[in-house]
Amino acid sequence: MKEKIGSALIVGAGISGIRSALDLAEMNYHVILIDRAPHIGGTLRQLDRQFPDDHCGMCKMLPLVDRDAASQYCLRKGLFHENIDIMLSTDLVSLEGEPGRFQATLRFKPSLVDPGRCMGCGECARVCPVEIPDEFNAGLTLRKAVYLPVPHNIPNHYVVDEAACIRCGECQKVCPTEAIDLKLESRRAFRILVVDDELVVRDSIKEWLEDEGFSVDMAESGVEAVEKLGKREYGLMLLDVKMPGMDGVQVLKAARDMRPELPVMMMTAYATVETAVEAIKMGARDYLMKPFDIEKLVSIVVQYYQDTESIPERRVDVGAVILAAGFESSDAGLVKDTYGYGQLPNVVTSIEFERLLSGTGPSQGKLLRPADGRPAEKIAWLQCVGSRNLHLNADYCSSICCMYSIKEALLAKKHNGGNVDASIFYMDMRTFGKDFQRYRDRAQQEHGVKFIRSRVHSVEPGASNGSLSIVYSDPAGTVCQEEFDMVVLATGQKAPRGTSALAEVAGVELNPWGFCRVSDFSLTRTSRDGVFVSGSFSGLRDVSESLIQAGSASLCASALLHSKGGELAEVAHERYPVREVSREMPLTALAVCSCGEILERAAGLSGIVETLQKAGLVSEVFRFDRLCTRSDWEDLRKKTESTRCNRVLIGACLPYVYGKKLKELSRSAGLATSLMDVVDIRTPAFPGLDGDKRSVSRHILTAIEMALARLRGVDSLSPVHTEVIRKALVVGGGIAGMTAALAIADHGFHVDLVERSPQLGGNLRTLHRTIEGSSPRDLLERTLSRIEKHPLLTVHMNARVVHSQGRVGRFLTTLEKEDGRGEAIEHGVCILATGGKEAAPRSYCYGDSEAIVTQHELEGMFREGVLDPSRLGIVAMIQCVDSREEGRNYCSRVCCVSALKNALYLKERNPDTDVYILYRDMMTYGFLETYYTQARRAGVIFIRYDLEDRPAVEVIDGRLKVSVLDTVLGRQIILEPGLLVLSTGIVPAEHVREAEVFGLSINEDGFLMEAESKWRPVDFMRQGVFLCGLAHSPRSITESIAMAEAAAQRALGLLCRRELPIGSTVAEVRQSLCSLCERCIAACPYGARWRNEEEDRIEVDQPACQGCGSCAAVCPNGASVILGFRDQQILAVIDAALEQVGG
Amino acid sequence: MKEYEPTIIAFVCNWCTYTAADLAGTSRLIQPHNVRLIRMMCTGMVDPKYVIKSLLEGADAVLISGCHPGDCHYINGNLKARRRVKLLKEILPRFGFDERRLKMTWIGASEGIDFAETVRSMVLEIKALGPNEARRQIM
Repeated sequence: MKEKIGSALIVGAGISGIRSALDLAEMNYHVILIDRAPHIGGTLRQLDRQFPDDHCGMCKMLPLVDRDAASQYCLRKGLFHENIDIMLSTDLVSLEGEPGRFQATLRFKPSLVDPGRCMGCGECARVCPVEIPDEFNAGLTLRKAVYLPVPHNIPNHYVVDEAACIRCGECQKVCPTEAIDLKLESRRAFRILVVDDELVVRDSIKEWLEDEGFSVDMAESGVEAVEKLGKREYGLMLLDVKMPGMDGVQVLKAARDMRPELPVMMMTAYATVETAVEAIKMGARDYLMKPFDIEKLVSIVVQYYQDTESIPERRVDVGAVILAAGFESSDAGLVKDTYGYGQLPNVVTSIEFERLLSGTGPSQGKLLRPADGRPAEKIAWLQCVGSRNLHLNADYCSSICCMYSIKEALLAKKHNGGNVDASIFYMDMRTFGKDFQRYRDRAQQEHGVKFIRSRVHSVEPGASNGSLSIVYSDPAGTVCQEEFDMVVLATGQKAPRGTSALAEVAGVELNPWGFCRVSDFSLTRTSRDGVFVSGSFSGLRDVSESLIQAGSASLCASALLHSKGGELAEVAHERYPVREVSREMPLTALAVCSCGEILERAAGLSGIVETLQKAGLVSEVFRFDRLCTRSDWEDLRKKTESTRCNRVLIGACLPYVYGKKLKELSRSAGLATSLMDVVDIRTPAFPGLDGDKRSVSRHILTAIEMALARLRGVDSLSPVHTEVIRKALVVGGGIAGMTAALAIADHGFHVDLVERSPQLGGNLRTLHRTIEGSSPRDLLERTLSRIEKHPLLTVHMNARVVHSQGRVGRFLTTLEKEDGRGEAIEHGVCILATGGKEAAPRSYCYGDSEAIVTQHELEGMFREGVLDPSRLGIVAMIQCVDSREEGRNYCSRVCCVSALKNALYLKERNPDTDVYILYRDMMTYGFLETYYTQARRAGVIFIRYDLEDRPAVEVIDGRLKVSVLDTVLGRQIILEPGLLVLSTGIVPAEHVREAEVFGLSINEDGFLMEAESKWRPVDFMRQGVFLCGLAHSPRSITESIAMAEAAAQRALGLLCRRELPIGSTVAEVRQSLCSLCERCIAACPYGARWRNEEEDRIEVDQPACQGCGSCAAVCPNGASVILGFRDQQILAVIDAALEQVGG
Repeated sequence: MKEYEPTIIAFVCNWCTYTAADLAGTSRLIQPHNVRLIRMMCTGMVDPKYVIKSLLEGADAVLISGCHPGDCHYINGNLKARRRVKLLKEILPRFGFDERRLKMTWIGASEGIDFAETVRSMVLEIKALGPNEARRQIM
């Protein structure tokens, strides 16, 4: 019998790792989320706002259904979920086994600060004498050697940067909770023997290593070395090769006999390298070349030292692995010669600029130049730094830089009240995502951002102090020059450091650019079964695309876990018996932590507790010295087991870290978590805030009183749960709909797949091949045969949805069949994959000649074999036909690639065919850029045109004439092609009716509107309904498949539950007070309230309700209440807050 | 005599400003003793009666602070609050309160410095305005 392993390992806790982790955790799989860094959040921790709306909103990714299982605070600050183990500063060191049963070894790099004890008071950093550039602010500010990796994280523990630490021990002395152990003793105990006949070498090595805290002995000859080895234990020997008398090799031999375990490093000059290599064969570990690089020598020694330290390794059994190792910004230092990075301080990278804009940045959000702190009023962005660069092995587009530069330009303008002159120097402005083109147009037309198509030659010091002069050539080749206050380099992305090592450990292949290779028609399947990839580790993508891909990865992982593990881990809302206390008088037990008596001294904690007891506010008091320790916590747990109190308030530090702990306490005490709370009594007593003991004491007393007041009024009733109909409805039978339907059915749930036309397959039927050379037809056949055979799939052809009612978990939808018959289907979730199609051209004489076709029609001709490439002569293609201008102002994302694909195909069949592509911006994002390079190499000619000078097409006596103004030559070019191909882009399907049926919105271009463009790309505001494929926005086959998988994943998160749990903060209606004014229905942003006409009452869809309280605030009668935030509670809190003021 | 220290009731949203306030506290950026923080899930749930009650009970000022427009976890609760604050500012004088005793701001989760700065400047403004005498007058 197979043992069920319902857990997954996710490597990398950036945004895509977090998404994948949450997805799997919501399905009740156990997730281990590791990151090499000491923090989560990856690159996003440094970015405050994202395009294309310049907002934040990361918290919108948190679970909407089982909200109480996860943290309910800003995700930029941290995350917890009861099914996710987050392990930071941890590496994957080996991965053995097979899909479904992997054994992973994780190595944790211990911090010298005990996170269990550190409460983030910062005393250590105050006394640390070291100052080095802070990575969080991209090096623009300084930090100490003991520091917070992200200043605003929760929980926030200090860490020691061992490389920077000088081991003065000051931090260890001042730490009030004894959390820091620099292990000075164990370093001192690591004794190193340096053997060299030259005194200066011995002395300098001794000095360097002693600075690092090690003990060093010296020997000036081989004989002395052997003598010393006989007397003492050593941790490492550094041994010179060439010495008079007994030389290094002889000493090595002797050492091998005397102390076989002793690691030996040879030291050698260039002349004796061969001897050193020989020595390695005899058992030396490595050799070091003279003259020494101090840093290298020290780091090697530290490595040996750390190897002797027992680094904890943990072996875990996991069913699937997701690699989400992210990316790294390309090195701006590579362009220091041309763009002056590193030499001209006002030349910054984009990430540095993000930090300059940030409230937590070096200038607290004021946009000041790094060189002189003067306001930056004229700023230039230079695109494609480190990408689209063959010399750097970066024949790819980093996909996001165009958009983030626009965002940065807009934010810069906002910061300085619009007084920033912003110019973006670019080659192609790649605005290929949903709503990106309009974002660009708004930036240009409404905000005056200047877009300068150019090649930048160099950045040089300008005429005035600190200014910069950009020399560039415009499209006509004229050399221009302009001065700026500041230059931002839009640095691209590259594979992160350690990628090849990780790939080796995980057993996955990399692509030619060093990113993870993926299989055909998938964004997430790697070369090793059971190992999936998520986010930018497989190529470059923005937040929304990363999240889609993360969803696809978690779907693949979940499908594997499901198939190998026997069955899906079922999520019944976990219930443990809790006391019913609604009829009891509120009695509160107060547990206070004195933080090792500090609060006693600083605030007179016992006096505070006495006051509360005398006032009868607390019935029982538990005192602790250090509640952060395991023993004290156990003690509290035992005490609450036997208490007669029905509320527990904990007064301690860092309330945020108690999320998981309170669950534990709730279970053992048998009290609902809503009856417990934690109040921060530590921060008010931090030294430096206010030394006045009376005032500190009063502040803490008030804080406790306020928390008590809220807790007294808490409702203890557990809300009703909604049962889920565990079936799905998928609307649309294209590749997206079919993929989603199969993904859900593969998890064991029944799916009804509805297709309007008489056959499945959608656009796949008209495509010949992909640019990578795979066949959409094969994909179609494979998919169709799986659908036919699947026992859990019912396909409804020639059918449409005409009506739907119900809510998340319980829908009833009516289909109308071709013959007018209706069929009602019950389902718990719905996925809309209504698709789209190639737009019909409205211009360029389409229809006047058979030689004018669309890209799809051309592919059709290839497929049918009706086109003879040897006789075409000239083929012209026009891009952006009727699109990227008002009417259809969006980029269809696939047309540039289609044009390249077809052009390359024509060239391949007949290299003599002249292919001209008339384009506005080539949108070859990501690795597609390489096909653009290939096409140019193959001799395809690219002519750029502007909207003002668009090409003109005439049909004269059946012959085509295309004229276009070549902006480089500045001349009109006349072509007489045998074939004119129009790239018209994609329009959404007619899905107005479907949108109406499910109560969804459609954007101005006719695409369905997702809940949130970045953070919830496959969700609708209406819960339980999801979207994927072309109905969302134009995308490729592979991208549609990934999106379908992501949507299926979201749907499965609901289907895998028998009933939907309800958050403890949720709305309720007190029917006796309700006047049915329906204001609450209008106010609810989630559509979670409706009027029950039969019973004439307002109902709340509690699983959909998020507890925002908009309904309660608009209710004129106090009939709408939020559990946990009732009026009485808040009013009591206000009373408590002001008691000592007014009373 | 010790300088008059105003008391400010701050209704802050769980997602943005509460975390900013926490950050301000743990980074030792503010003297929190003037402020009584009341964490709400969203500023959109702050009922006008909470504001009036606070002022009647003797608070010298009320601060409502949430996510920046567009950042609201609940889509637009902060904008609902803004409308409410505008109306409240119109009716507060009828209760005898200076409308400057109510303030609304947007402070994002990482903007601990902004929170500290907001409180600091608000304390100065209220000090200039003097204590809230409404309660004494009513009693």
